[in-house]
Amino acid sequence: MIKKIFSRPTGVFSLLVLATIFFIAVFGQLITPQGPNEINVANMLQPPSPEHFFGTDELGRDVLSRTILSAQVSMQVSLISVSFALFFGTAAGVMAGYFGGWLDNLLMRIVDVLFAFPVLLLALAIVAILGPGIGTATFAIGVVYVPIFARVARSSAVSVVQEPYVKAAKTVGASPLRTITTHLLPNIAAPLIVQTSISLAFAILNEAALSFLGLGAQPPTPTWGRMLFDAKGFLDQAWWMAVFPGATVFLTVLAFNLLGDNLRDALDVTVDRKESK
Amino acid sequence: MRTKNGNTLKKTIGATAVSAALLLSLAACATDEPEPVENGDDASPSTSTETESQTLIAAIGGEPDQLDPHITSAYFSFQVLENVYDTLVEPDENLAMQPALAESWEVSDDLLTWTFDLREGVTFHDGSDFTADDVVYSYKRIIDEALNPSWRFASVTDVVAVDDFTVEIQLSSPTPNLLAAIGGYKGMSIVSQANVESGEIVSNPIGTGPFKMESYDVADSIVLSANEDYWGGAPAIDELEFRFIAEGSTALTALRNGEIHWTDSIPPQSVEDLSSESGISLGQVGSSDYWYLAFNMNRTPWDDVRVRQAVAYALDREAITTAALLGNATVNQTAIPASSDWSSDYAPYSLDLETAQSLMDEAGVDSAEMELMVSSDYPETVTAAQVISAQLAEIGINVSITTLDFSTWLDGQANGDFDMLMMGWLGNIDPDDFYYAQHHSTGGFNAQGYSNPEVDELLDSGRTTADPEARKVFYDDAAKIIVDEVSYLYLYNPDVVQAWSDSVQGYVARGDQAIRFRDASISE
Repeated sequence: MIKKIFSRPTGVFSLLVLATIFFIAVFGQLITPQGPNEINVANMLQPPSPEHFFGTDELGRDVLSRTILSAQVSMQVSLISVSFALFFGTAAGVMAGYFGGWLDNLLMRIVDVLFAFPVLLLALAIVAILGPGIGTATFAIGVVYVPIFARVARSSAVSVVQEPYVKAAKTVGASPLRTITTHLLPNIAAPLIVQTSISLAFAILNEAALSFLGLGAQPPTPTWGRMLFDAKGFLDQAWWMAVFPGATVFLTVLAFNLLGDNLRDALDVTVDRKESK
Repeated sequence: MRTKNGNTLKKTIGATAVSAALLLSLAACATDEPEPVENGDDASPSTSTETESQTLIAAIGGEPDQLDPHITSAYFSFQVLENVYDTLVEPDENLAMQPALAESWEVSDDLLTWTFDLREGVTFHDGSDFTADDVVYSYKRIIDEALNPSWRFASVTDVVAVDDFTVEIQLSSPTPNLLAAIGGYKGMSIVSQANVESGEIVSNPIGTGPFKMESYDVADSIVLSANEDYWGGAPAIDELEFRFIAEGSTALTALRNGEIHWTDSIPPQSVEDLSSESGISLGQVGSSDYWYLAFNMNRTPWDDVRVRQAVAYALDREAITTAALLGNATVNQTAIPASSDWSSDYAPYSLDLETAQSLMDEAGVDSAEMELMVSSDYPETVTAAQVISAQLAEIGINVSITTLDFSTWLDGQANGDFDMLMMGWLGNIDPDDFYYAQHHSTGGFNAQGYSNPEVDELLDSGRTTADPEARKVFYDDAAKIIVDEVSYLYLYNPDVVQAWSDSVQGYVARGDQAIRFRDASISE
């Protein structure tokens, strides 16, 4: 599978970009030229230069350093929220697919209701109730992705449950838990992996959107979305404040998407792409 | 916030033009797109020498909540009402009180009775005559119904019509700032009883001012027409249109394209470009607003004056002001701006980390956690907070910034859920406006919990002393103690920034943010 991904240029590109982003996210503090919140008002709104490759923002902070450290926050948010969605979504989907009947109906109707809301609108509503902040933004993004994973897991589970080896396991008296963990999950993993990759991309976008609306990370914590929010008022004066974090978001999301596409091809699965709206 | 109401916070209102514009730019709004001016019966903005009627189009940052001057507290309302209503006296450009509906006045020897001689021959926009009864009705309405401005009448015991054109205001104690109280802003307007009782005042106010209501297009614009019978002389322009444009950059584009003549929705970062732009005049004057930090003195270690002083020494006010408003403000260590006769040049603090650190040591505080409460509705507070946070880290104070919408912020202030907060007070004229409610131990807005009997006494004396020089001494002394004990940590007085087309003549930007178009004209 990995080999197959490496055989295509888009696959190589996505892995390289993601490896860089992960490296930056983990070791960001060690490689930033300046503290992300080091303020120097006398040095505000400076264009890119050898001292500040990405220029400085309205408080004289180094845009490069803030872009680098944003990676940490953004990746944290997307990884935690997607893990949350993956766990609860898969659990709900597998139970619905395995047991069927009224449980299937109940769970899937709940999922349908959640699914009816546009992703960002639902996230906004959750943040509005719980109050803005990076923690609630993470939770909100996680919640809105649960239905996607639930559907993917259920549709796969429904067909896998009909397979002879699952029926055989049931017949010999394996407990539902054992059947699900040893027979069902490994065989529905492929679409979930692909979905995870794509969802990570959109989680980053959604975090950026929430932060851009002032509902995600609170100042002075840097995230790409928050940086874009701050840059909005200075588009005429300081294009670099918006362009660099914006380009980083673009690259990261593109890389996750390409990885997703390549995984899909490598694993030969079809994926529900509704969330891309 | 121009209004100073007694019961609710005076901070609520529109704020400075700039901050109001920024605030509203956050809320996406249907009024963003200005429509091209139609060449109908009314002139387009730049036509003037022709015989058609002249319309001056002004873009304001938002829509008035309603137009009853005694009830609204929104700055957007007062931008319109400034041109519709009159008060007995009104501030000139230097904020000195001048005759308006009252031609002259005198004070009794015991300072407890003020007698106003009213202008004769003034009519309301509906044709009815203006008399002493209207004054009595307007003032009693404010007092009896405890409307927003009623606190300004705290010392008033009665308002009496002596004859058709003489009004007497009776006081319980000498009130030297009575003129500022009744003329400081259009919340003290003389209204028409019939207009109030019909309920129409909310959307179709009838005043005695230079312009009268013509039409109101909800969420889009308000059109006023010239009052040809205005006692001060008919305005030069025929119509005055206020358009609601929330987004500052949209308003500026409209101004540059000639779609509008005037705007105060100007992002701070655009001021410099505008000042050198041909075809556009920039009006920038120091305002009587001030922005400040206040500590919660009911919490440790902020109850220790040394810690508060340490903060005062650790802050670089120039940097904060530059960051918050890009220099469109004047640093100040007291509340009253230098342009006012009441200002004090007391400025004991400077950026001095050694002094700050030794004060912290003296107080025995190594490090402290501080929750700094600011409001996203006033973006300059969020920006300034980040600078403050970085500066206080130098003396071991770890600041966490809480950004709230303004109504939640107000709750937080009322409940004392903060270590420090940043906000501004706007539209102040008399020194009593600047200090009493905020620092008197019984003051209505003393959220920080400051109490000093000496300050109380000085502020009480200032309220009841007639001689301006003696008053100034009281307020200077009070300000000195307030600054020394850091009841408020004053930061800056922002500028009023307005821009208009060069074709507009006779308009002046004023420090009290009153938007007066009665002397404006339009030329090619």
